[in-house]
Amino acid sequence: MLFSKHFFKYYLKYIIPYAIGIGVLLVIDFIQLYIPQYIGQIIDELRGSQDVTYMQSLLLQIGLLAMGITIGRFIWRFTIFGASRRIQFDLMNTMFIHATNLQQSFYSEEKVGGMMAYYTNDLETIRNAYGPGILMLVDGLALGTFAVIRMVRLNPTMTLYAGIPMLLMLIFLVFILRKFQKLFKTRQASFEALSDFTQENFSGISVIRAYVKEFQQKATFQLKSSDLYEKTIGFVKYFVAFQIIIGITINITILFIVIYGSSTVIQTTNLTIGELTSYMAYFFTLIWPIMALAQFFSIQSQAKASAERIGEYLDTEVTVKDQEHALEVELKGNIELKNLTFQYPDGDNPVLKNISFDIKKGEMVGILGRTGSGKSSLVDLFLRTYNIDHNMFFIDGYDVMDLKINRVRDLMGYVPQDNFLFSETILDNILFAFDEKDEALAEKAAKLSDVHDNISEFKDQYETMLGERGVTVSGGQKQRLSIARAIAKDPEILILDDSVSAVDTKTEEAIISNLFNIRKNKTTIFIAHRISTVKRMDKIILLDQGELVGIGNHESLLKTSPLYQDMVKRQQLEIMVESEDAS
Amino acid sequence: MKDFKEYTREKPDKEILSRLISYIKPHKKRFIFVLVLMLISIIVQLVPSLIIGVTIDVVISETLTVNEKLNYLVYLGVGFALLMVVAFNIEYRQSLWLQEIGQKIILSMRHEVFEHIQTLGPAQLNQVPVGKLVTRVTNDTNTLSEMYTNVAANLIRNVIYLTGIIIVLFVINYKITLFLMLFLPVVFFATLLFRKYSRASYRQVRSNVSEVNAFLSENLSGMKITQAFNQEPKKKKMFYDKSNHLRKSYMKEILVFGTYRPLMYLFSMIGVLLILFLGIGDVIHQEVYIFVFSAGLLFSYYSYVRDFFEPILQMAEQFNMLQNAFASAEKIFDVLDTKPDIINDDDAIELSSFKGSIIFNDVWFSYIPDEWVLKGVSFEVKPDQTVAFVGATGSGKSTILNLIVRNYDIQQGQILIDGIDIKKIQRESLRAHIGQMLQDVFLFSGTLKENIKLFDDTKTDEDMIQAANYVGLNHVIENLNDGYEHKVLERGNNFSSGQRQLISFARTVLYKPSLMILDEATANIDSETESIIQESLEKMMNISTMIIVAHRLSTIQHADQIIVMSHGKIVESGTHQALLKEKGLYFNLYQLQYEERKEA
Repeated sequence: MLFSKHFFKYYLKYIIPYAIGIGVLLVIDFIQLYIPQYIGQIIDELRGSQDVTYMQSLLLQIGLLAMGITIGRFIWRFTIFGASRRIQFDLMNTMFIHATNLQQSFYSEEKVGGMMAYYTNDLETIRNAYGPGILMLVDGLALGTFAVIRMVRLNPTMTLYAGIPMLLMLIFLVFILRKFQKLFKTRQASFEALSDFTQENFSGISVIRAYVKEFQQKATFQLKSSDLYEKTIGFVKYFVAFQIIIGITINITILFIVIYGSSTVIQTTNLTIGELTSYMAYFFTLIWPIMALAQFFSIQSQAKASAERIGEYLDTEVTVKDQEHALEVELKGNIELKNLTFQYPDGDNPVLKNISFDIKKGEMVGILGRTGSGKSSLVDLFLRTYNIDHNMFFIDGYDVMDLKINRVRDLMGYVPQDNFLFSETILDNILFAFDEKDEALAEKAAKLSDVHDNISEFKDQYETMLGERGVTVSGGQKQRLSIARAIAKDPEILILDDSVSAVDTKTEEAIISNLFNIRKNKTTIFIAHRISTVKRMDKIILLDQGELVGIGNHESLLKTSPLYQDMVKRQQLEIMVESEDAS
Repeated sequence: MKDFKEYTREKPDKEILSRLISYIKPHKKRFIFVLVLMLISIIVQLVPSLIIGVTIDVVISETLTVNEKLNYLVYLGVGFALLMVVAFNIEYRQSLWLQEIGQKIILSMRHEVFEHIQTLGPAQLNQVPVGKLVTRVTNDTNTLSEMYTNVAANLIRNVIYLTGIIIVLFVINYKITLFLMLFLPVVFFATLLFRKYSRASYRQVRSNVSEVNAFLSENLSGMKITQAFNQEPKKKKMFYDKSNHLRKSYMKEILVFGTYRPLMYLFSMIGVLLILFLGIGDVIHQEVYIFVFSAGLLFSYYSYVRDFFEPILQMAEQFNMLQNAFASAEKIFDVLDTKPDIINDDDAIELSSFKGSIIFNDVWFSYIPDEWVLKGVSFEVKPDQTVAFVGATGSGKSTILNLIVRNYDIQQGQILIDGIDIKKIQRESLRAHIGQMLQDVFLFSGTLKENIKLFDDTKTDEDMIQAANYVGLNHVIENLNDGYEHKVLERGNNFSSGQRQLISFARTVLYKPSLMILDEATANIDSETESIIQESLEKMMNISTMIIVAHRLSTIQHADQIIVMSHGKIVESGTHQALLKEKGLYFNLYQLQYEERKEA
């Protein structure tokens, strides 16, 4: 049972199926013990007056009980296990919703693989607690209690003697399961070590080949896989021994019951032979509750650990969110930075220092700088990915920290540096910003990004699936699709983060020209490191190591900024070198 | 992602089964012994029900005296205890040996796969992500291991057990047993139906699980884009739909199991009622079927029938695991059946010594058909020379190195090693003479020492230290507390790219090759390490023949020959001074780097 705050509420939410399921379970556990009782009575009857009608009526009752149990078993499975799957579904969605709210600083710290474990491993163990776990607890306690009560009624002394080994077995089981988990973990560790070694070997196979070290590696592999063999056999030995011990305990107890019981039947009238057979059946019925209770403890402890992990995740604070009384206003898109200084939450030094500039609505702006100049951090701030101090970043005169985040993002269209596309159709990707499918709009955007022709060449054209289960598009195509996605939104402020790096100069020219044409009265910001990209812009903002070192158009910067001059010269040389290659 | 499937064909279940069985051959003797033990163990398992029946008859007997009955109990106790000792001994041995056989099979299979992958060519390996290859060696063999030890063993057990029960039932009362057999087809039909539905629902669950996981993985990685476009509601709805789909397929699974198991219970109870109904009559009329059908025998019969249905249930449910195992087996066999695309010719010779002469004659090469990377390249490297290759990315420089170590074979032209056609030389013997310093210096988990020696215990520590000092690695070591015992973490992320270059130098010098090949790292190196590297390179150039693919022109100023490449062709060649004078491509490259240095 899980009692922490994120989990207890589900018992209440699904109280009806749980109540029905548990109720049915209790009834089944109660009535199923009548069957051995009736059979015992038949045995006695066969020894006694042999009244066929009476025996047949007992058979009939057994038949009715069996039908009831059958229906009951279906019901509890459907209700209890069904509820556990619903809870799994609820939790999954709660976790994902939380993921959509969490800020990027969380994502940069946590690896995706680790997060996935919450949804897969951890959620599975929790589901076990809500489903099979409940079953084992109820069945274990109820069936066990009912069986024991019947056994005591028939013969208290025998029950006492038989009960002791069973109780010991239960305790033994609980401890053994813990030891198993440890052994299993050791084996797992060996398995992972082999996996890691294999991974490394295959990744570095070129080095191994280069130095003809295959033989050495083979030897090491044999060592590690033999270790895995040993650990597995060790685990298995234990497991088999455990099963044997259980078997011995049960069999000794049965032997005891048979002998003691038989002698009681022979020598006294306290017990009939039929009752003895019923008693043995009750005893056999006890085995499952004992296993179930032991398993319950194991499921419990695993679920608890997982619940802690998921609880911690759900408790992670959402820091990038609307402040109280956030403003809901129509924005036009005039940007102003006043002495903006920004440092990443987990960073040591500010990545942007004292930056001031403004971008008026309708301007074509280039933000230029080398790696580490702070260009991408600026983009993150435009997109409201991180929080900043007040009085640094204004849109239409409003402090951006006072505005509703949705409003700010509504303004922006973003072409990311990695050109991330989703595994959906090309159409859905281009129209990502929209809910309705406007194919004409998608086509228009694709033409403006010079990717429509490529799309038309695909067999399914706009319905082509991208990603692992679809086609793989080239880097240049990805980039242009990513541009189309942002253009389709026709945002007030379009931000292209290093977005023409993968295309050739001619295509770059075409895209920029298109943008000049369609983006009149709308702001477009190019983050770039090539002068050729930003040469024609109204304004170029030159950053270096987080500081603003120049601002103006191409001609004015050429005159005033030594850094700009150097960059121009270098890039001209690069062009010369590249064009030589056109032989 | 391609897999090895394109090299092999689909395998039918029968073939997979026979191949899996063939792995038992080396353990044939033990396996047969295990089967025999299993047989004995099952026979022993069948005894208790019978004994209880006999005991009942003894207890209710009107002919035996109380003392006789009590004596019987004593014999029963002792006999049963002895039987238990024997039985559990057999059980332990049999289980353990079976597991051992299974694990040994897996062990040898793992080695087979691992070694086979090592023989595959780089082209083949590059097609499949490393993770998948690792899965073949570890997880897929694991699945098979489960199959051999749990599923297969239980299947065999259950089949033998069921057969045993049926035989015993016939012996006790063949009339009732015949009636029971008529009833069985219903049970089998229901089980087959269940198998069909459970397979379908199982497959659905698995495919939905991977869809949900794929969605999660992608969207957790791309959350920034989703948030930037304000599309959280859309994604939440998509996830809702997918997870709901999954939930529904789970519900279907619950329905399938929730119907089958209770139904099997009902069938077993119907069977029980049937035999009790018929059996009561037989007891009252004291019918004889080989033995007198007494109350005790009725009870034994009842116990057997009750135990009959559980194995059927188990077998039905274990078929899914079997399917899983077959799928894994097929994947493993796909790997094993893939022939390496590069194998030595039968008449390939061993290269006993290598002076260092390399000649390329009009070499044309492509990785992918019709996309030529080298177009008619010809040059000569004389022994003990240092030759450098420069050019823009994609000009073909690194490819030349790949060809010299024969990672690939050329389509046209000729490559001569000491005058011998490279295709006639055994790969391993060629590589034994070449020390490769690759662009990505791969460091293994272990100590620095192990990485320099590359786990070769024939190299002494003194040799290693000498090599390290020669290349100037000692300057790096000085700053480490544990020196050469320093642990390499996570593929060497705790070393800078310059330091890694020096480590690869040390590896090579220790190896004492006749030809050294350096594919220079492109990453930025701090100036201090850079000067150490420069010095080492110049020293190493004196050891033997050296071929460098350079990005930093400062490295190669002292090379005997610099070959400038562009788009797969040689456009200029000569010494550093001569090339500068030409004021061609080399000159431009040189100037470009000069400017870049100034900026930094």
